This record gives sequence, structure tokens and C-alpha cells, in this order.
Amino acid sequence: MAGPKSSSKSSSASSETSAAIATLWKSYLDETPDRLKFIDAFLSFIVLSGALQFMYCVLVTNYPFNAFLAGFASSVGQFVLTASLRAQVNPENRSEFKEVSPERAFADFALGSIVLHFFVFNFLG
Amino acid sequence: MILRLSWLLLAATVRAASLSLQSPRFTISTSDATQLRSDTLSLTKKPEPLTLGATDTLKLTFQITDNDEGKGVQPHQTFLRFYDKVSGEEGIQPVRVTPGGKAKFELNMARPPASIPPTTQNPLEVSLILGSFVHAPAKYDLFNIYLPASQTPAEHPDEASFHVLPTIEHTFRPEQKLPPQFISAVFAAAVLSPWVVLIGLWGKVGVRVPHLFSPSIVPFTVLLGGFEVLLVWYWVDLKLGQVLLYGGMLAIPTMFAGKQALYTTGEWRAGRK
Repeated sequence: MAGPKSSSKSSSASSETSAAIATLWKSYLDETPDRLKFIDAFLSFIVLSGALQFMYCVLVTNYPFNAFLAGFASSVGQFVLTASLRAQVNPENRSEFKEVSPERAFADFALGSIVLHFFVFNFLG
Repeated sequence: MILRLSWLLLAATVRAASLSLQSPRFTISTSDATQLRSDTLSLTKKPEPLTLGATDTLKLTFQITDNDEGKGVQPHQTFLRFYDKVSGEEGIQPVRVTPGGKAKFELNMARPPASIPPTTQNPLEVSLILGSFVHAPAKYDLFNIYLPASQTPAEHPDEASFHVLPTIEHTFRPEQKLPPQFISAVFAAAVLSPWVVLIGLWGKVGVRVPHLFSPSIVPFTVLLGGFEVLLVWYWVDLKLGQVLLYGGMLAIPTMFAGKQALYTTGEWRAGRK
């Protein structure tokens, strides 16, 4: 779908950008299946959580450094696993993952998560 | 028989023969051949101790004769022994004796022989030792001599390795401190706040999970939850081997439950399509 054309040439670049973002957001809300939104919510949760942990490490202390590493690595790892799950279950990517069913993708996600969590708890000390 | 007896007799007389020292004499001269001191040596009484400068030369001459015949003999072994009574160090210097029994020994302090023991302020006792297969051995205490103190020995390259090393003292960095409880609490709340966001977003998206409690799904969900519980338990208490054992035990039913659950899900998906 095409973005709306700017009504006049004099409109500033910032308003154009915000209009583009608004369109993008609207199309995301309209066109994305709920299941993917569900995964996206989880992804944003992971990003927020990782960013806050990183902020704590930078601003306050990295003192139990292994704990920071474990927490931050779990965020990064879980993000990677979830993003790959999202890519594989996205109906639009069906042509790319012909032989990978959503169930198989979820099984991979579950196994990968368990292994990741094992390492994370191992690191947590 | 008589011949053999006479040989034995001869051997006995020879064995009984002893050596004597004739006209022992020493001379001390400087490097430019000026004589500083010269004297004959008495075998019964030691002379005043001799003193040798750093470049002086000591000359010692004597003749060794057979006591009985008075002829000069060449003993099989002739040694001068330099002995430091205080340190117990000694040096043995062989002396060349002519077949006529005459001997001349020179000690040039500009080029001292290696056999001289390390010298200090103490005098060295010099004695002459004679050894022979056919004569009785003899030892004469000749004189005491002051030699210039030897240089301190050169330091061995590995010398430094043979000392007690200074005690290793460990310095530890100060123990790291946890931030104040207030800041900890604030950040704990901040790090937990994404859960609110997550639950809010999920509520807004409103995904229905109609099959969550279906009998083919629940075992898989429970077993996955069991894995997470096991890992938390690992954090709290368990050892690695136990976790691997329990995890391995848990993996088998999880595998079957997962296969069943996902197969059922696939059927639903296909049926819905």
C-alpha cells in the first residue's frame, strides 16, 4: 500500500515523516495478524527489559556482573529466538519457509528457549 | 734362595732410607729484581712470616737428598701446600724437581697460580710434602707467608636467583558494594515494569487461546513449565550433574507431549483452513 501524498510542497519534512510513521503504524495495526502482534508485544517487552538492564549497568553499577550478563544475554537471546519464530510463522513468509510448519517453528523456539535459559541460569550464579 | 733373600734385604734397607732437605732458601724480590729479603730456611724453626707485595716474586730453592748416601734424589711427588688455618682453605702446588734433586719454585704475585687458596688478612702456612715409593714420606713446615688479599670472586650470573625472594603480598581491590536499597528498589521496579507493558499489550491485542486447556496441549505446557522450574531450582540449589540428569528425564515425556500437542495444533490449523 502506498503512503499518502503530501498535499502541498511547502509542508515541512518533519510533518511528512510523522505522517509516514502514522501511516506505517495504521497499516501495521490493520494488516498484521493478531498472533504476530502478540509476538511483537513480547518482542517489545524483551527490548524494554534489556534496555533497562543495560541502563542500570551503565548508570548504577555492574556489580554482580555475572547477573547482568545473564540478564542481558537472556534478553538478547530470547529476542533472537522470538524474532526467528515470528519470521517463520508469518504467513507472508510462507514461500520462504515452505518446509517449516508453524508447529515446527514453535518446537524449535521452545527447545532453543530451554537451552538458552539453561545457560542463563548457569551464569546467574 | 740366597739371591731372593738379598733382594728382600735390599728392599728393607731402601725402605728404611729417608729423604732430607738441603739448603732450603728463599728470596723475595720486587718486579724490578730488587731483593727485599733473602734467607736460608731452618727446618726446626720457622722464620719471621714472609710478606709478599702485589707484584713481588718469591723464589724458593732447595735440594732433596737421600739421608744415607747424601746424593740428590728426585722424589716421585713434591708438593707445596698453602694452608689458611683460619678459613681452612688450602692449595696444593706441585714442584718440579730435577733428577739431581734440585728444585726451584717461583711464586710471582703478578701472575699467581690458580692453586693458591683465596687469601685474607691471615697468613698462609706453607709446607713441603715429599712422597716416594722407596723412601719414607716427609713433610716440612717451611714458613708462614702473607699474600695480598685476593679479589672478591666475580658474581655468578645466576647469583641473584639464589636468594630468598621478598614475600609476595597480595593487594585486593576493595569489595564491591551494592547500591543503596532505594536505588536498587527503583531500578528493580523499572526492570520489572516491561511486564506491565507486556500484559497491557497482550490485553489490547486480545489473542484468544481456545485450546489452552485442551487435554492434548496441557501436558506440553506443563512440561515446558517444569523445565523452567527445574532451571530455577538449578539456580537455587541443584548441581550441574543433577540438572542434566533431571533435564534428560524430563526431556523424554516433553518430546512426546510436544509432538502430540503440535500435531493436534497442526490438525486444527489444517481443519480451519
